[in-house]
Amino acid sequence: MSVLTVPAHAGTCWTCPFCPLLCDSYGVAVDTGAAGLRLTGSDCTRAAEALTRFAPAPGPQASLVDGRVGDLATAAAAAAGLLHGSRQPLFAGLGTDVAGARALHALALDSGAISDAADGAALMHGLRALQDRGAYTTTLAEVRTRADLIVCIGGSPSANLPEFFQRCGLGEGTVEARHIVMLGGVADDTAADEISALARLPGVSVEFLALQGDLFDTVALLAACVAGTAPAGSANEPLRSLAGCLHAAHYGVLAWEAARLPAQGALIVEALNRIVGTLNRSTRAATLPLGGGDGAATANQVYAWLSGLPLRTRAGPAGLEHEPLLFDTDRLLTGRAVDALLWVCSFGADAPPKMDLPHIVLGPAAMAPQFAASTAWPRVFIPVSTPGIGSSGHLFRADGMVMMPLHKVMDDGLPTVAEVARQLRTALAALRVGER
Amino acid sequence: MSTVLLRGGRVIDPTHGVDGELRDIAIRDGRIVALVPGEPADLDIDVDGCILMAGGIDMHTHIGGGKVNLARLLLPEDHRAGANPHALPANLLELASCGTCTPGTLATGYRYAEMGYTTAFEPAMVASNARHAHMEMGDVPILDHGAYVMLGNDELFLEMLARGGDFQQIRDYVAWTMRATKAMGVKVVNPAGISAFKFNQRKLDVDEGHVRWQVTPRQVLHTLARALRELGVPHPLHVHGSNLGVAGNIESTLATIAALDGLPAHLTHIQFHAYGREGPKKFSSAAVQLAEAVNTHPNISIDIGQIMFGQTVTASGDTMRQFANADLASPRKWIGSDIECDAGCGVVPFRYREQSYVNALQWAIGLEIFLLVRDPWRVVLTTDHPNGGPFTSYPHLIRLLMDRGFRDEQLARLHPEVAAQAALRSITRELTLYEIAIMTRAAPARLLGLQDRGHLGVGAAADIAVYREQADREAMFSVPEYVFKDGALVARAGRITALPVGGTHFVEPDYDTAIEKTLRKHFASHGSVNFDHVAISHDELCSCCNGGRLLPTACFQGEA
Repeated sequence: MSVLTVPAHAGTCWTCPFCPLLCDSYGVAVDTGAAGLRLTGSDCTRAAEALTRFAPAPGPQASLVDGRVGDLATAAAAAAGLLHGSRQPLFAGLGTDVAGARALHALALDSGAISDAADGAALMHGLRALQDRGAYTTTLAEVRTRADLIVCIGGSPSANLPEFFQRCGLGEGTVEARHIVMLGGVADDTAADEISALARLPGVSVEFLALQGDLFDTVALLAACVAGTAPAGSANEPLRSLAGCLHAAHYGVLAWEAARLPAQGALIVEALNRIVGTLNRSTRAATLPLGGGDGAATANQVYAWLSGLPLRTRAGPAGLEHEPLLFDTDRLLTGRAVDALLWVCSFGADAPPKMDLPHIVLGPAAMAPQFAASTAWPRVFIPVSTPGIGSSGHLFRADGMVMMPLHKVMDDGLPTVAEVARQLRTALAALRVGER
Repeated sequence: MSTVLLRGGRVIDPTHGVDGELRDIAIRDGRIVALVPGEPADLDIDVDGCILMAGGIDMHTHIGGGKVNLARLLLPEDHRAGANPHALPANLLELASCGTCTPGTLATGYRYAEMGYTTAFEPAMVASNARHAHMEMGDVPILDHGAYVMLGNDELFLEMLARGGDFQQIRDYVAWTMRATKAMGVKVVNPAGISAFKFNQRKLDVDEGHVRWQVTPRQVLHTLARALRELGVPHPLHVHGSNLGVAGNIESTLATIAALDGLPAHLTHIQFHAYGREGPKKFSSAAVQLAEAVNTHPNISIDIGQIMFGQTVTASGDTMRQFANADLASPRKWIGSDIECDAGCGVVPFRYREQSYVNALQWAIGLEIFLLVRDPWRVVLTTDHPNGGPFTSYPHLIRLLMDRGFRDEQLARLHPEVAAQAALRSITRELTLYEIAIMTRAAPARLLGLQDRGHLGVGAAADIAVYREQADREAMFSVPEYVFKDGALVARAGRITALPVGGTHFVEPDYDTAIEKTLRKHFASHGSVNFDHVAISHDELCSCCNGGRLLPTACFQGEA
């Protein structure tokens, strides 16, 4: 067994691409035998589980066109033909890094595709709230250094982000006394165990606060309490007390997970932004968004900087159209508003949706068996490298301000999404020239 | 090895004192060359009736990085025409990219190049956001680019300063940061003020103490300016001063100049820092005082940050001042962020109105400073894109500076009290083409230490703009006949003709690596990124920037 040193000069410096915290102080051990890839230096369940998806020494993996094995060139030609024949393609999933998003963006413009991330609905909660009213946010190092009150909206984030509290620096003593509030979430044994474990850390106090109605009601009422406009009444007392803590804190942080918000979650985010806006008139506070993993936030940023508009945009005949509600993958597929799908999931996390239409999938080699049979509709599967496992790359962290480098830990012999997308673009251009 | 000859144009090249002489310019292998008499060129271009200048250099324009992209995300309305999309580009070379005050990076490159600009510098790169900034700049086609990294609000610097320890340690830290982030310069924004706002301090004058670290902006300014001087970094400290936008802030601006104590510094978007508090509205022009200070301090250079009327967005690292102005946002929304114990950002959309007394006066103040500072080599033409207005308004600004009649016409349309009383009315100076060439290419190249840019001498990079001479300077500077980037024709009469990948300018000052031990410890105890991930290597920079060339600028022998 060999413990990888990634990069070679830097000890065990690996960036975990499997959740939006992008932790980079753990290592990966690569066993070419049965043990495969194993996390070292952390017991993060999410990273450990994700690493089991990768075979340690994969051979070259072929593409599949309508279930038949083919080389990359054949698959790219077939995929380009499929895009060429489509009147309205959809690029979805978008599980890739910066380089992949750059290349997909150009391909989307060429083919007139709509682009949406795997959990585009979650991404839009934050984006729509931002477009309407703006936001005031903070980042992990600020939280670690100065947050004396952290309110976890909807409950503890550690189910999805196991290293969250570790990254906040709880118990380190950087901040003398910190208070953690779990606002909502399931009050079961696991939650109770976590609360008591956190509360044992030096300088940390933890409190569970039940929702007052649903999350919409709760944040609306909390906003009113913070603004001092909530009606009197003992029912409001717990949130009034939390509002008092927020006013008294030097640096209060409202952490929220996009993926846990219900439909119309933008309203919840908007209320959180309003709370922070009120607090910042007298003390300091900020929100901490926790989402955008598996490349979603990265693709959103890359699309925005290249064209000026974020995801859920298409280059239609009239120009760039951004439709944060209409250009939703489920809605487009259900309503048959698109006639071809390019699904990208190089991190292997997101299973493609039901695909009863011509489709192209760029995913990890392990997905290949799903595409081994032919179906009624044309389809192409191209195995791609996973950034942070088989190739290097870059991703944005949850807070949106830090772009982390990803390192290759083993040779998977597969092309990157960027390479495949560039090849598709060339093949598509050739088809168009041939037509003239 | 093909040679292009631009024949019969009038050359304006202030670096060599050339002012409108008829000269032929030859290009080969991306450089300006001297042909031996009688040597034929492979391509002869008749530029009779045209003015030739070096490609424009914008040394202060927010084109890439976190806050710029936040501005795009905040303003989808800047990327459509009312309810309709902007039309797709007619030119097949261009990919769809739109926006006026927050254009996509692709549109940024196309529009700058069409206007004859070939280089642009992002002035406010947050160290922890450096990869992102370089990624965005790498996606600006055609233009060479670079960035100034922000220091002076990072907790480590303030702590080191507060401890009053070894100056050399701070100097090493500055050098390390520049190398790690691949920066071309260092910018300080509201010295210590961004950090102070995180501790709930709402105002910080030049001699006021930071509530936590008890250091003053004066100390921050002097320390950073001295460090850069000793490191031999060509571009001096880039200063966004205290109290931006505050009536009466001329006092802090003059105090800032005094704090520098003769050390070289570049005071940026100075228009926003030249306000008095005279008159019934307690808001007045301090352009005369400011210009006087600049005229008498040869260590100071400035760029203006001229405002232009209409919709824009202000994107700044100055969270303290952006927060203070957030209630003036139009449309009514804004973004703020505290970033990594490093810096911050504030994005506030704004509409400058002709009928607003304050906005009209801001407009007049900017022009007054342009026209009152005597030495054009210390003045750079900027709108602080997009904060004062989008860079696409440069041709209009040039006409305002060159054409008094036009300027007076515009002034007459403004708020009546400003129109009647502004000192601008009595300023008769009209800038010449020679002075415009200094302020838009020769001076910025010199202030940045770019030896082979900003001029048309033999050996210079063939970044060339060829303008058809016209009395209407706005029309003339809007659509050059030809634009060359490193010898390649990139725009012809307002149409993009080629899309070379631009290069990245940066400096790599030397330092004692012992500082890395301190930094490693600091990142481990206070950071959120593994120390080994902080620095961007040459290879990584290259991949961030789409394979563009690396353009390191040499440091001079530092003066300790």
